[in-house]
Amino acid sequence: MEQSRKKFLKNMFLGATSVPFILEACKKDSTTGSGSGSGSGSGTCTVAPTETAGPFPTITPSSYVRSDIRDGRTGVALTVNITIKNINNSCAALAGAIVDIWHCDKDGNYSEYGGTGMQSTNYTAVHFLRGRQTTDANGLVSFTSIFPGWYTGRATHIHVHIYNAAGTSLKITQIAFPEGASSAVVAVNASTANGYTKGMSGYTYNASDNVFSDDTAGVEIAAISGSVSAGYILTHTINVAA
Amino acid sequence: MAKGTIRLCYRKIIDASSQKVWDKYVFESSYTEFLMQSQLYNQGKKYNSFAEILINVPGAEKLHFLVSGAIVGYVQQLNGIVPDMLDNLGKHFLSFSNYRFEIINSDIQDKTAHQVAINFFSNPLLWHDTIDNYLLISAADAEKCEDGILTNLVQLQPFLGIYSIKNEIA
Repeated sequence: MEQSRKKFLKNMFLGATSVPFILEACKKDSTTGSGSGSGSGSGTCTVAPTETAGPFPTITPSSYVRSDIRDGRTGVALTVNITIKNINNSCAALAGAIVDIWHCDKDGNYSEYGGTGMQSTNYTAVHFLRGRQTTDANGLVSFTSIFPGWYTGRATHIHVHIYNAAGTSLKITQIAFPEGASSAVVAVNASTANGYTKGMSGYTYNASDNVFSDDTAGVEIAAISGSVSAGYILTHTINVAA
Repeated sequence: MAKGTIRLCYRKIIDASSQKVWDKYVFESSYTEFLMQSQLYNQGKKYNSFAEILINVPGAEKLHFLVSGAIVGYVQQLNGIVPDMLDNLGKHFLSFSNYRFEIINSDIQDKTAHQVAINFFSNPLLWHDTIDNYLLISAADAEKCEDGILTNLVQLQPFLGIYSIKNEIA
């Protein structure tokens, strides 16, 4: 009898200490408690985590920070070399500037949320053909990509957004491509072997393009060298006020 | 007999008051990315809040997607396990392969207004029964063992919903 009374008191004592613990668990994570506690305690409250700690998060750069932006998109190889110069410093190379580029795939599509908008953890290519690099001492950034296709209403182009090192926008612009019978644009869009199916029928030329038509001096048009088989290299300089 | 195959959605809210290390990283990275990317839609800094940009600038809804690029690496660090969501044994158990990032609110002048959500969509689950306010569930692809199918009890709670249901059993 005495033994069972001791046991009873001991259980009571345990009960008394465990109640504040449960309340504390509720308080800690207010989003998981139902908030409708009527005194019965544990029934309205989610358990606290009780497992080995981890995984431990580490600081990770934005997924845009990379030089190869293809993410499995196929097409004619294109290396994009962009040099940033500072018009506030006698057009000297601007080091440490952040350069974002993005362009469409061979079929004219951009990466963006579509359909249900769900991203998949095992299909990491959701931000295809978008990249970010920081200019080196020569003001240069370089990206490995594919030759962009085109879509109705626009000439072939690459979007560029240049920021200073603090992330403040310096310039938002687009790079245009040279045209003509022997141009890369014509050769690539005829390359069905590389998956380009549109040809040039219905193409919007720079002179009719609503972005490039005012660029009569052609400062937005890049230099392109190379071939369909060897791939192309795009070289372009953009001046900003930094 | 299971009631159906369901996918749960946990909408994890992250804001300036978030305390966990992972949450803070997501908060910082997504705000930095928002400041950068929003400049494309807010040239001249005409607007301060995400809501104003969204209402006034065509195409600005792409910012949800564009800012999500900053947090992809953090989602991968979760190794496919939904954070915060515990079964009644106090263990993380819910696996996911899909998620969606969204900006709820933000402001280029006020970091404390920055609030984002990551919606975690669980892999398919069999919903066997509801006990009190707990769902008795098991992974849809779980193999039978000697005792039958191993299950989890998960409590109905704020920010946890049933995203989809199929009456046929997977």
